Amino acid sequence: MKVLLSWIREFVDVPESAEDIGKLMSVRGLALEGLESHGDDVVMDFDVTANRPDCLSMIGIAREIATAYQRPLKVPEGRDFSPASSRADAGIAISIESADLCGRYVGAIADVTVGPSPQWLQDRLIACGIRSISNVVDITNYVLLELGQPMHAFDLDKLAGPGIIVRRAKPGESITTLDGKKRTLTSDMLVIADTARAQAIGGVMGGADSEVCATTRRIVFEAAHFTPSSVRKTSKTLGLKTDASTRFERGMDVTAPARAMARACQLLEQIGAGKAAGTIKDVYPSPQPATSLILERTRVSGLLGMDVPDAHLERILRSLGFDVQSASAEASADRTAGQAGWSITAPAWRVDIKRPVDLIEEVGRHHGFEHLPSTFPGVQQAPAASDPRIGRDRRVRTALLGMGYSEAITFAFIEAVAAEPFLPSTTLGGTAREAPVALANPLSEKFAVMRPSLLPGLIDAVSHNRRHGRRDVQLFEIGTRFSPRGESRGAGFAWTGLASADHWGGARRDVDFFDVKGVVEQLAAVSVVSPAFAETYVPYLVKGRAAAIVVNGQHVGVVGLLDPSIADRRDLPSGDEVYVAEINLDLLTAQATVGTLRAAALPRFPWVVRDVSILVDDALSAGTVRGTIRSAAPGTLIDIREFDRYQGKGIPDGKVSLSLRLTFQSPERTLTDEEVQAGMQHIIDALTRDLQAIQR
Amino acid sequence: MSTIDTSIGPDRAREIFRAELADVRTDAELQALRTRWVGRNHSWSAAFMEALKTATPEQKKTLGKGANELKKEVEAALAEREASLAAARRPANAVDITLPGRTPRLGHRHPLSLIRDEVGGIFTRLGYQVLEGPEIEDDYHNFEALNMPEEHPARDMQDTFYLQTPIKSVNQTLSLLRTHTSAMQIRHMEQNAPPVRLVAIGPVYRKDELDLTHTPMFHQVEGLVVGKGVTLADLKGTLAAMAEALFPSIRSAVGDGATHSGQAAIRFRPSFFPYTEPSAEVDIQCIKCQGSGCAMCKRTGWIEILGSGMVHPAVFEAVGYDPNEVTGFAFGMGVERVALLKWGVEDIRLFYENDLRFLEQFGL
Repeated sequence: MKVLLSWIREFVDVPESAEDIGKLMSVRGLALEGLESHGDDVVMDFDVTANRPDCLSMIGIAREIATAYQRPLKVPEGRDFSPASSRADAGIAISIESADLCGRYVGAIADVTVGPSPQWLQDRLIACGIRSISNVVDITNYVLLELGQPMHAFDLDKLAGPGIIVRRAKPGESITTLDGKKRTLTSDMLVIADTARAQAIGGVMGGADSEVCATTRRIVFEAAHFTPSSVRKTSKTLGLKTDASTRFERGMDVTAPARAMARACQLLEQIGAGKAAGTIKDVYPSPQPATSLILERTRVSGLLGMDVPDAHLERILRSLGFDVQSASAEASADRTAGQAGWSITAPAWRVDIKRPVDLIEEVGRHHGFEHLPSTFPGVQQAPAASDPRIGRDRRVRTALLGMGYSEAITFAFIEAVAAEPFLPSTTLGGTAREAPVALANPLSEKFAVMRPSLLPGLIDAVSHNRRHGRRDVQLFEIGTRFSPRGESRGAGFAWTGLASADHWGGARRDVDFFDVKGVVEQLAAVSVVSPAFAETYVPYLVKGRAAAIVVNGQHVGVVGLLDPSIADRRDLPSGDEVYVAEINLDLLTAQATVGTLRAAALPRFPWVVRDVSILVDDALSAGTVRGTIRSAAPGTLIDIREFDRYQGKGIPDGKVSLSLRLTFQSPERTLTDEEVQAGMQHIIDALTRDLQAIQR
Repeated sequence: MSTIDTSIGPDRAREIFRAELADVRTDAELQALRTRWVGRNHSWSAAFMEALKTATPEQKKTLGKGANELKKEVEAALAEREASLAAARRPANAVDITLPGRTPRLGHRHPLSLIRDEVGGIFTRLGYQVLEGPEIEDDYHNFEALNMPEEHPARDMQDTFYLQTPIKSVNQTLSLLRTHTSAMQIRHMEQNAPPVRLVAIGPVYRKDELDLTHTPMFHQVEGLVVGKGVTLADLKGTLAAMAEALFPSIRSAVGDGATHSGQAAIRFRPSFFPYTEPSAEVDIQCIKCQGSGCAMCKRTGWIEILGSGMVHPAVFEAVGYDPNEVTGFAFGMGVERVALLKWGVEDIRLFYENDLRFLEQFGL
């Protein structure tokens, strides 16, 4: 709200500079957004919060300043307007048909000579950001700025019939508004009409048909009160926001229309633009009672945590226009004794005052929040535990950081095409995919759907880094994935480039499947679970370089090489191999044994190691070999480790040489050579029999 | 090299020895020095022995003592130098320690993640539980229960993303991306009786175009304390403690350890939020100029960091708390905002580009 310092000074004596006033008001609830000089005057731009439509006026801001400086609010001479008389038989005929949308309508007929406004009036409007149009229209805007009450002027001779009708729009009814646009109305919108048609959209904008122009001789001034929710809805539906609608939708003073009308008529004469003809007509079918509240003394300090002396409290509220009466314990007999306080009536412009806390805020802010002491809330019980996901995510994050991954945070909404390959299939192994969680009003196509996976965002982040000169990129993200079935927390990571940092003394090798698989194994170790890996097919990973991560039979994620066509679509340099993995942390946690962990005693007896090399079919997986060994081995076999896998010279085509190191140990005794040898023989027999292995 | 002339006496000879020792750089030089001073023949010590033979009994007494001490001292000094030369010698298997190390790869924390943890840590110390909540919400938890019924003008303050197809279940219709972590307040209070002491941290969404200071997704820290006798002054103390912990420069600027929680570290400006009454925006003392006024704080000496207030009675009524029995405070702070201020980041979009050149500036 732009206000003019000279205009404010008509209502309150503040010789202080605009800077000083701005500084004080900023800590009293009116933040100063800008200051600019305007001739000898200063325009102050205050940020008025949505709950204070009364401050969208000179008088409203002046009242706040007067209270802050503890000075009286002045009523300039000749401006003490007593309530206007209301006589149904005089003045213009006004009929309110939709009293639920228009609580009060004040109208007055005036004879006018349309011309330019005097310079001082034009200057004031322009300083406050309103264009000068003509003396009659300028008066409506002047009153709007001064008192906050929106007004309108109709050209009476352009209206059909004897008076004003306030009614809902008829189905299909249309109106051309003052901005020249034809608008089709709906039956929940309020119009101001003559007997023939709508002439204004109530509380939003007037119509072009009855616009005041140079030849206008007689006008009807309107000052009315419209229902906030209705104005807001109409303004939103039509996409039409005006100075009037902004005020009405927040709630206006129901007593203001009469005062505003009197002020407008006064100005009309004062600037020689015309004269009111006859009585001001005021239709106010059901007068609204003022809001009265009991404010208990103990509640004030109980909520603020500081004491405000009674005299301060009363001065503040009275200065803001409240009626303050001491209420003794007897007067509020329905309350507990000892809670004496005040009976307070809010002024009609304070539409935001509904509860005692609203009064406490007024007292607190004008007493000054700077007087608040710094204290801490008392503890009444032991603090409850935090969300267990936070600690778990921290452990996973720490592990990934330690393994060289930097943490990424990407937007949770992504492009629909980027999400598509990552949508889970709805049938086992089928091609039908689940629908993404799409936004109805995305910022742009780039942010159209909620991510089903962390990988699209990570791939884009890898792509960004590759295009900015980075050869080796390791990134991870821990975040939420979305599906129509709900939200889940995941950890995803992506790796491209060298397997380990480049070094003058070492061999260079690019990352491969086993690097990322190893990372997954370590992440499982964070939760103390052992993962199994199963061949899988997902549309975003290269077939044969992809594995499902399985824990206790539960599918918890995938790991593998990103499909080159996806890498290509996301602008990664061609030839880049990007390995990715994603784990559902919620499912992984469900399998975690870390909560029931018991420490095992260290073994007291020595272990025995035996190596075995076998020649097998190269299509045979290491997992199968390990399985055969396990099923044939005695219970003392505690570890199997592949330490060499060789194909090439000396090995027949289609065969592979596997070397395994087997470790035996018993918790109860020292193993003898004989029993280990017997165990080995058993294993070798099984390998030969079941897998046609040849011992080398 | 000096001529051996014992007539100068042991004291002068000692000075000569010290000068010669100072010039020794190699093992060979040291060996030559040793021979020359304590060798069996043609050395200074041999010459003094010789001189003793021809000395008068009177001279013998002082010369003998002096020559003996000189010899002892020379031997000790030679041994010491020998040790220091040995220590300086480069062994055959030495490496060039100035070559670069083989660095294990170490990732870097995202700055927003650092702030999240820091704030979580501060409030954990103060006895709060740290919570996270759903990011897709229903209208009730995000707006209505927070005293923002349909058509409330304050809804304009938070432009909302809606789902194309709301996710319906038995008791709710999830239809929007939460615009603030305040939705979590409601969910928690519905399920738990007072007292409450929590912070909720996580992403929130508002329909803002990307620019230097806005992103359509950002992170928020929500704080909520409910109990008997919780006051606005308690909020002030709590937020001052948090601000001092997050921005150590504020504390030092106050410079008075006796001041209770740095009264001047923050200030409250009355404001409006539908879900709090009274409401206040909170400024911290400018971290750049310590309050004296600079370009960063637009010459005010203060920088806004969060919105807060006393929980509105209507919110308590919505979750079944009795506003006559309990009071509470709540605050909401932007994580990005804190990170921008703390590290002097000038473009908020950097937090979402995940450029390693940016991320690697932050530690672990």
